[in-house]
Amino acid sequence: MNLFHVILVVVVLGPGVVFALFALLWLLLAWTPSERVVSSITGLTFLACCSGVAALIWKLASAPSITVSLGSWFSVGTYHFPLVLMVDRLSTPFLALTAVLSGLIGQFSATYLHRESGFLRFFLLLHLFAFGSLLAFAAGSFDLLAAGWEIVGITSVLLIGFFHQRSAPVENALYVFGIYRACDIGLLAGIVAMHHWAGTASFADGSPSLTGAHAVIVCLLLFLAASGKAAQVPFSGWLPRAMEGPTPSSAIFYGAISIHAGAYLLLRAQPLLAQSLLACALVILIGAATAIHGSIVGRASADAKTSLAYATLTQVGIIFIEIGLGWRWLAVAHILGNATVRTMQYLRAPSMLHDYHQMHSAVGGQLSATTTHIEEMLPEGIQSWLYRWALDRGHLDTILERWVIAPLLQVSEYFSRGDRTPMPSTKTVCPAEPAPIPVARAAKRGG
Amino acid sequence: MVPTGWLLHTPVLTGVSVIGPWLATVGLIAYQRQARIIGSMAALVSAIASATLLWKAAPGESLYETLMLLFAGLTFGAIILLPRRDSEAGTIAGLLVLLGSTLLAYSTGNLLAFLAAWILSIIPFLSATGLRSRKWRPVVGLLSSSVAIALAIGFIVVRTGTFSISHLQGQSPGGLAVFSLLIIAAVFRKGIIPAQAWVADAAESGSPIPTALLLNGHFGALLVVKLIVPLFPEMDRLFPVLSYLALATAIFVAIRALAENSPRRLLAFLALSQSACILSGLESRTAEGVTGALVHWIVVTVSTVGLFGVLRLLEVRFGENLSASRHLGLAEHAPRLAVSFAVLGLTLVGLPGTLGFCSQDLLISGTLTTHPLIGLLLPIATAMNAVSFFRLFSRLFLGRHRTGFTVMADALPRERWILAGIVLFVVLGGLFPNVTVVEHSSAVDVIDESSRTFENLHRGTGYSGNNTSIQRQPPKPELEVNRRTGT
Repeated sequence: MNLFHVILVVVVLGPGVVFALFALLWLLLAWTPSERVVSSITGLTFLACCSGVAALIWKLASAPSITVSLGSWFSVGTYHFPLVLMVDRLSTPFLALTAVLSGLIGQFSATYLHRESGFLRFFLLLHLFAFGSLLAFAAGSFDLLAAGWEIVGITSVLLIGFFHQRSAPVENALYVFGIYRACDIGLLAGIVAMHHWAGTASFADGSPSLTGAHAVIVCLLLFLAASGKAAQVPFSGWLPRAMEGPTPSSAIFYGAISIHAGAYLLLRAQPLLAQSLLACALVILIGAATAIHGSIVGRASADAKTSLAYATLTQVGIIFIEIGLGWRWLAVAHILGNATVRTMQYLRAPSMLHDYHQMHSAVGGQLSATTTHIEEMLPEGIQSWLYRWALDRGHLDTILERWVIAPLLQVSEYFSRGDRTPMPSTKTVCPAEPAPIPVARAAKRGG
Repeated sequence: MVPTGWLLHTPVLTGVSVIGPWLATVGLIAYQRQARIIGSMAALVSAIASATLLWKAAPGESLYETLMLLFAGLTFGAIILLPRRDSEAGTIAGLLVLLGSTLLAYSTGNLLAFLAAWILSIIPFLSATGLRSRKWRPVVGLLSSSVAIALAIGFIVVRTGTFSISHLQGQSPGGLAVFSLLIIAAVFRKGIIPAQAWVADAAESGSPIPTALLLNGHFGALLVVKLIVPLFPEMDRLFPVLSYLALATAIFVAIRALAENSPRRLLAFLALSQSACILSGLESRTAEGVTGALVHWIVVTVSTVGLFGVLRLLEVRFGENLSASRHLGLAEHAPRLAVSFAVLGLTLVGLPGTLGFCSQDLLISGTLTTHPLIGLLLPIATAMNAVSFFRLFSRLFLGRHRTGFTVMADALPRERWILAGIVLFVVLGGLFPNVTVVEHSSAVDVIDESSRTFENLHRGTGYSGNNTSIQRQPPKPELEVNRRTGT
């Protein structure tokens, strides 16, 4: 293992180690570090990550990739879970984006969330998210990518429910979790299918060799996972709900990293995708539908963050089209540009109204009207129909609730007829409830 | 110098681990006020004896010793974790009886001892005041399974005249009738469809932590591992029936949990759905599937006991009418309980970085090899369970916090350390899974005696496994569990 291998391992593990340390100290010793300590350690961690990534980029100028094999995570018989980290010219931009933006978001949030009750929780989740993202982007196999992918998903959900004193963010977090889990079945099944048919899910030594129907099935399964994570049609309904989280987390998740993770997955699977005309066509079709959907719905969005979310979605749809057409490097450049601009826009969103009022005053209350919008060229009947369609966000949530969630709950209710019993009553089931015990007394009594 | 070498003999250690808890119940009669101390000491002694057995076990022959250590350790943790109002002498005595009988079932190679352990393990839940369920289904479920296994073992003993499991391997004693009775016993005890309803009733109406321990003895799976697979290799055509029943249970219960609002019932459904997968893995007879099933056994056991423990701690703090129909916001008052609950629940549904991820990965991979339908449907059941769990977590811990009571304690020190130990176990087990996985991949040999017997019987008939099938492993001399454990 040479120096660059060590750097790669440290870059990926760094945020994870910081997360584990903070979490353990809090859980076992009830130690809550001060805001200054948290933000300083966060800054140092991501500075180290950025330096590490810079060193890796310098090395990649003279080598196509850097691969570190850490053995198997676990192995049984011929089956093993390879622990291989790899950076190449595809993963490097994503690693750099994650390290730089996580550091920036960390510094921004130290001020933005000052004296917020969930300050430590936010930073813990930021570190966990950065670890998951770096793991996913530096993975040398789809197995390891899936591990990072799942970690990104769960941190995303927990940050949507960050302001958990209100019911709406919590319910929205549950909704997003449901969509993620449903779509992640595709990733899991795709990986298992790769192991089953190709004997490996590693791409460190080239893509798994699959042909014909096998390649098509695997591509479609991976595309399901990518669509869920990238909020493509018909799963776009979760994106506006995800805006319930704090603005810094919206910026890094839905402006930059998480929303583009689906595109990264497809880029990784490009050799397989190239073998399947059906999968390519589907990627283009869904990408186009998403771009149109995002563009129309975004125009009727009432708040800044939701408008930005749909603007991002439109671009991600176009990125999917580029991937479907095989324009790999254009897609990567598009992702980098979109992620950077959207992050900045998200972070500026809370100040936008203030800026607008300032500008309004500066020009003496004479801000000129925007120019003609393209939708104004349509007949008036279609315009109003589109407006209603956009207000209901393409009816995607309604369709999902009416055709998936409601029937499932009906089946569940039906199943419950066989074992339904009333809720237990305190009086009948258990001894009388004693009066609540204050903390000091309870600790003294030991129970 | 006093010679102490005899203490390390296998029969002595097994005796200490099994009989120790039973003897402690006698002490409880005299010293009822020290019930928690006596109970935890007895469980600790049992755990130390099991650990020594595990340390002495030969490589690849440590399956049951691992399970003994796990169960004894969990019982120790459960007794410490029990809230004050649940730690009466009767409840602790019931737990110790359950511990002794479960360890006896794990360690024995004798049919009669196995039957005795089976029946003893349910007696506290039929008689003890603090443990008895107030509903009829748990009683019927547990009694039905006991009657079925008693009849099956009776038939076997009458027909063969032997009590030794190792002597009966591969002989299909009693044929289809006994095989069917054993399957019925496993189905009732494990809560497989159509006998799934008693598990939720038991969790709802009994004491949750002891009930979690009862469910996590996994006697149904043990029956499959210890009797059904080794004794009836010729019935292998019928084994997939068990897998499909387990899959149906996993899916049915996962869907059922989606609309459940009672936290206890919901947790019971999750535990049942996830543990049903164990049978599919055991039946897959691939190295990955069987290893995945055994690791999953550990994951389900540890996380379920922890989850029920946290739920019970919440109940004694915030009242027993907790419901998942509205947000309770308890994380504000009990953040450490919330974190423990979240980690253990996500472990149960396979969060990466926890042991649950490894077991799910192996299970799905193993079952896909032999039963593609099961391999594809298991992730769907797990996904639904994940959603149900997250709904329960968010309703209990998130949302507007409850008012109307004084400030309540978060996890007390004794609770915090036990929960932290459980959380660390699943997380460290997930980060360094090779310790657990390698242990159980070699333990596959213990289970697979029947497959080799079957292969020997049918050599040349065209039956063969695939490249990961455990039939391909080199034959070993007959393994006698009772030779090592001395029971």
